[in-house]
Amino acid sequence: MAVRTLDITPYTCPMTWVRTKLALEALAPGDELDVRCRPGEALENVPRSAREAGHAVTVDGTTIRIVRA
Amino acid sequence: MSDGGASRRGFFRDLGKAVASTRDALAPDPPREPAPPPPPPDFGGLSDAEIERYARQLVLPEWGTAAQLAISEANVLVVGAGALAAPVATYLVGAGVGRLGILDPDDVELSNLHRQTLHFTPDLGVPKAESAAAKLRFLNPDVIVEPYQVRLEEENAAALIEGQDVVVDCSDSFATRYAVNAACCAAGVRLVEAGVLGLQGMVMSIKPGRTACYRCAFPAAPADAPSCADAGVLGPAAGVIGSLQALEAMKLVTGVAPAIADGFLQVDLASGDFLRVHAARRADCPDCGKL
Repeated sequence: MAVRTLDITPYTCPMTWVRTKLALEALAPGDELDVRCRPGEALENVPRSAREAGHAVTVDGTTIRIVRA
Repeated sequence: MSDGGASRRGFFRDLGKAVASTRDALAPDPPREPAPPPPPPDFGGLSDAEIERYARQLVLPEWGTAAQLAISEANVLVVGAGALAAPVATYLVGAGVGRLGILDPDDVELSNLHRQTLHFTPDLGVPKAESAAAKLRFLNPDVIVEPYQVRLEEENAAALIEGQDVVVDCSDSFATRYAVNAACCAAGVRLVEAGVLGLQGMVMSIKPGRTACYRCAFPAAPADAPSCADAGVLGPAAGVIGSLQALEAMKLVTGVAPAIADGFLQVDLASGDFLRVHAARRADCPDCGKL
């Protein structure tokens, strides 16, 4: 299964998580999304929001891999 | 010699073939067409501008792409362009409703302005539907706003509510409320009723044929019912009730939360008490008993 990628480096809160959330809504359960973000706020908040929404999250550097719940 | 020459050419030809076949065997697979990268997420068809405009509702766990698309396809009619209608129309247009009709026969008067927050002093004398529509178009140019300078009555109610997904009754008389309720029941159009007086108010959502209608809950108007033309109302009280109505309309359109149906919410803003009052469908209801 192809991993979708999403670049949120141009955005700041709340658009970082908004765009990630909408991208996840467009995927099927089990699909994976690699989110590229800047260090700092987004790298702290997007994984937390994704986990709170019930998705599985791993972080590698500035790439957040999210498996859609 | 000529044979030998042919033989030598043949040797080199065969050697060349052998080298070629060995090279082919050892070579990596010829480059294939690169797999196309997966398309970027389409965000459910929402544009960048829409994502930004609606970000603070899209970010809610209960909302999201499906709710946004549902509201963007909804036709909503707001009956009245006064105190309740102001928050109703403002929030629905702000949230990105597809089309909003707003009807009111009256012009803006000075005594409206303390509570009817879509109208301003320079609007005095302007039809209220037009005054409201002008502000709503500034708020969100993506929404189709249709003002109607007309009074909803029994005779025209059916035509006015035809094709609506939800009607929000922001009128200020029992006669209009019963006319709206009857027409919505007959047409199967979902309805949000409300009323406000002084510091009290009520809100009720109605799914005709499925939940109690306004007449099920209030079979007859009180004989001595004052209207807010001869009774008072404080602006924020109307704002609270209208805001609750807007939320009910958004629930009915999107299903993000259960509407306040089969009863009503009675709000006492003097004491701060919100009371959920149950009401059941009536088999003998003249408006919905036969549905």
